[in-house]
Amino acid sequence: MASSRSSSEESRFTVLAASAVGGILAGGILLGFLILPVVQGRQAGIDPWTAICRSLGIAPGTPAAGSPISTAAARPVSRVSWDEGTLRALAGAAGPSPPEAVAQCAACHGDAGIATDPTFPNLAGQSAAAIFKQLHDYRSGARVNEQMSPVAQGLDEADLAALALHFAARSKGTMDATARADRNHPVAELVLRGDPARGIPACNSCHAPGSGGPIETPILTRQNEAYLADQLRRYARGDRGNDIYGRMRGFSAKLTEDEIRRLAAFYAWTE
Amino acid sequence: MAASEEDVLRTEIRWSFVVFAATALILISILYAGLVHGINPPSNIETVDPKTLHLSGEFTEGNLGTRVEADGGVTVRVVTTQFAFVPQCVVVPTDRKVTLRFASPDVIHGVLVAGTNVNTMVIPGYVSQVHTTFKTTGDLLTPCHEFCGLGHSQMWAIVRAVAPADFKPDAQGRAACDGR
Ligand code: HEC
Ligand code: HEC
Ligand SMILES: [Cu+2]
Repeated sequence: MASSRSSSEESRFTVLAASAVGGILAGGILLGFLILPVVQGRQAGIDPWTAICRSLGIAPGTPAAGSPISTAAARPVSRVSWDEGTLRALAGAAGPSPPEAVAQCAACHGDAGIATDPTFPNLAGQSAAAIFKQLHDYRSGARVNEQMSPVAQGLDEADLAALALHFAARSKGTMDATARADRNHPVAELVLRGDPARGIPACNSCHAPGSGGPIETPILTRQNEAYLADQLRRYARGDRGNDIYGRMRGFSAKLTEDEIRRLAAFYAWTE
Repeated sequence: MAASEEDVLRTEIRWSFVVFAATALILISILYAGLVHGINPPSNIETVDPKTLHLSGEFTEGNLGTRVEADGGVTVRVVTTQFAFVPQCVVVPTDRKVTLRFASPDVIHGVLVAGTNVNTMVIPGYVSQVHTTFKTTGDLLTPCHEFCGLGHSQMWAIVRAVAPADFKPDAQGRAACDGR
């Protein structure tokens, strides 16, 4: 179909469209580079000319507040950095034969990563990142334990990743189904939804595998009950402080002793 | 029934007015926020390595919180992390310029201090810096307003604005909610 519009109508449209685009452009320039910077500059004590230059990007913004660094000796926090090298080392598969250093672990953590004493942690099926980070922290002194620290200090960096991959690949075995925790237990509310009023996030927002929380978050299910409760108490007291930015210390102190016991039991007896 | 070309044109024009009105409304609210509440994008770009944030420098755990610098300025340093603000409560004086500096080691978070012009995203890799002057005293609720994971809804902090007379930094210039 041929256009029935006259050429005068056509050129009128062109003029209209061009002036609309031009008007919006001019309005944008006026607002963005003149009115907003000048008014906001006045509120911030910046003269109009500087404000305009800054909005154009030809004068630098407010310089970063210089950062005097605390010289107070803080307790050693974790030295682990999740850089590419570390992630690549942990992305590999466990070697065909267990690393030599495994022999040192068996007395306490069992041959297959199931602890020999209920107050020791199981390692079987734990996430490799979690095992690596904890070994690294025992080695650097960020986490201290009279049994673990000397063991970890005898290992070298390559051992850590190999051991982590080895234990992560072990099976937890099957659980006695009659002992399973009740999913409707009142403490499940904390596990699944947390307590916003007290600022306690849901445990599973980090601890459920694949939840998208910090990479080093350990798996808690099927861990020994006494060990879990003990660690929560340590976080609460501040005896354990290797959790980066107090992710666990922050709210552990708000948990009651009763909640700690129930949470430990819940996770210990959940598949 | 097929609409005539005239009808189509008239409908299009009517809708274009609706679009213009909606755009104008949004623009006006942005202008209002910018001019009256002083809300503006960050004025500087400053990068920081999120992988090593906790290892050394400004955003190490021991260096966080409120601090009166040597030049008398008040700086508040906060790390936003899944799913907490560190520290969870910071104390600031009213009627005095305060610089807030935020950094994230993990994912994008948001900071909004209720009733003030402090409203920024915190993007891993960058320091988010906001200048403000608190005008009212009280505990200001500070939620994370950028979905950051399953625990997002439990992520909030308190900015405790106190009268200048009640703002008592220690010998190192540090001030904390619990009077640490
Ligand atoms: C003498 C007993 C003993 C030996 C040997 C030992 N561990 Fe441990 N391990 C423990 C105890 C006890 C804990 C809990 C310590 C604590 O509370 O900090 C622990 C904790 C750990 C943790 C932290 C677990 C978690 O969930 O946070 C890891 C990882 C670990 N050990 C790995 C190893 C490896 C790998 C070896 C061998 C190279 C080893 N351990 C040898 C007793 C031992
Ligand atoms: C923000 C994420 C996050 C939330 C929410 C969270 N945790 Fe953790 N949790 C961690 C991380 C990360 C670690 C490992 C810390 C470290 O590096 O030492 C950890 C460690 C632990 C440990 C020590 C486990 C071990 O093997 O040593 C226990 C027990 C624990 N959490 C219980 C809980 C409970 C119970 C809750 C809910 C009330 C909870 N966590 C909520 C991130 C979280
Ligand atoms: Cu957040």
